[in-house]
Amino acid sequence: MPRLLLLLPTTTYRTAAFVDAARRIGADLTVASEQPSALEAANPAGLLTLDFQHPDRAADQAHDFARRSPIDAVVGVDDDTAVVAATVAERLRLKGNSVHAAEGARDKHRQRELLAEHGVAAPRFALHLLDEDPNEIARSVVYPCVLKPLRLSASRGVIRADDPAAFVAAHARLKAILGPCDAAFLVEDFVPGYEVALEGLLVNRRLHVLAIFDKPDPLDGPFFEETIYVTPSRAPAGLQKTIAECAERATRALGLVEGPVHAELRYNERGPWLIELAARPIGGRCSAVLRFGEGVTLEELILRHALGMPIPSLVREKAAAGVMMIPIPGAGVLREVRGVAEAKAVPLVEDVQITAHPGERLVPFPEGSRYPGFIFARGETPSAVEAALRESHRRLTFTLDAA
Amino acid sequence: MSSAEIRITAEPVDNHRCKFVVSQPLHAAGVRRFASAAEAKGSPLAEAIFAIPAGGVTEVIVSGNIVTVVKDNPAPWQAVGKGVGAAIRAAAASGAPAVAAKAAPAAGAPASIDDDTLYERVARLFDDQVNPMVARHGGRVELIDVQDAVVMLRMGGGCQGCGMADVTLRQGIEGMLAQHIPEVRGIVDITDHTSGANPYFQASKK
Repeated sequence: MPRLLLLLPTTTYRTAAFVDAARRIGADLTVASEQPSALEAANPAGLLTLDFQHPDRAADQAHDFARRSPIDAVVGVDDDTAVVAATVAERLRLKGNSVHAAEGARDKHRQRELLAEHGVAAPRFALHLLDEDPNEIARSVVYPCVLKPLRLSASRGVIRADDPAAFVAAHARLKAILGPCDAAFLVEDFVPGYEVALEGLLVNRRLHVLAIFDKPDPLDGPFFEETIYVTPSRAPAGLQKTIAECAERATRALGLVEGPVHAELRYNERGPWLIELAARPIGGRCSAVLRFGEGVTLEELILRHALGMPIPSLVREKAAAGVMMIPIPGAGVLREVRGVAEAKAVPLVEDVQITAHPGERLVPFPEGSRYPGFIFARGETPSAVEAALRESHRRLTFTLDAA
Repeated sequence: MSSAEIRITAEPVDNHRCKFVVSQPLHAAGVRRFASAAEAKGSPLAEAIFAIPAGGVTEVIVSGNIVTVVKDNPAPWQAVGKGVGAAIRAAAASGAPAVAAKAAPAAGAPASIDDDTLYERVARLFDDQVNPMVARHGGRVELIDVQDAVVMLRMGGGCQGCGMADVTLRQGIEGMLAQHIPEVRGIVDITDHTSGANPYFQASKK
């Protein structure tokens, strides 16, 4: 059986989905994390610790491991491990993206430079140091603008500013969010428009669009907490085609050639704009809404592609499907969630997963980014799915205590 | 408690296995596992779940307030889950035991796999090897039962709700059982991971 090295950060939601997929396709699985598993000593071929903070060192460690247990493919599941996977793949001469391309996708400034060099429509941007005088920057930018960290994900720390006073306030907030390792941030134009997410799989440089999700709730700021994703998109077919072309141009600009792609785009009267592109699959537990062919999961597609196994189908099922990342209900300590059974009872709702646990501190955007749970629905039309998600969410009550 | 007041939370493990966590216990006396409709006879809850039309149910495990259902069809849990929920509510509302106590084997009856012996061996493995290791993460793994060579366990402490619990289970415990006790045919985790208040690794969105 082929051996798969799966890079799973200890904080990912995707563990079960990827481990299940590896099992279904019959791969010998080695799970690598940045911290040791409690049982690593008991299964040294199946559990490995890699230094995800230092990809070159992780590649050395993987190289040593591969001498004992040869590896046929390496897969990362998030932004950081996509870079580690590329580094390991280069070292072991496995299929994957170049380190240069993976790093370009990971670093938002580098990504924008590459998009601009290749003429991909994307917001105008400028890089600023955190130590610069925010009042001075505020005088030089065009409003509305968006302040954006270089490496955080899930829209954490992303803040819109409409005038100099808002810019200075946003800068102070962002500075407090970023750690001592972050020296810079981006300021980019706010692009008005309707936002969509594109899920794709690159196979030998060709982007196969697996799904385009509508994001029906406006993402106009000042913070950018995501809520509902629904697929198929209700955008006209011609527009979807231009969205896909924009995403494919972005993958070429970054030099990505293989594996999953998740892109956020906006469109307005001037066409589609590439907002973000990552060399990883959709985040959180959202991939559960995607099924291909006879019920194949997104994770199974990704692993089959990595291992060079036949892929039964890249065509998503006909039904509409959607997920709601449950909005963070406020700041405080979660005491209880009521109405879960009622939320699940909504027709078309398949599941309601509360992932926050009692006693957990909930932190709203932009400082926080951990959603308290997910709602999944499937139905005949995107509108029906969206309505079901909203009704299900309406039935949930979160009780918080002061932090 | 009326059936309307019972709260049930479904936790799909994958498309074939789903745990239903109920707000009241259904079977306080250990674990019962039913591998067929025939085995479920006399246990109203399990009978009802096996009888769900087009459910494709192949296995039902009841332990305390958790009902684990395994099915072999690719349909989403939505349709089957509603049937399971109705069966749970009906069983709880009836006032009768939801599942019958496990019958003692007849004296001298042959057994292809001796679950009692397996239980002792698995318990020893957990005590001697698994638990000292997971204790480093503040976790513990409790052996609940062995039925038909299938091990039922519950994770606690830092393992309960841990983002890497699946890895511990499948890459760790499962491999140790396969190595040391190859007679074990499977593992069922009956942990209510949503109630884990102190998981060692906490998942976040991206």
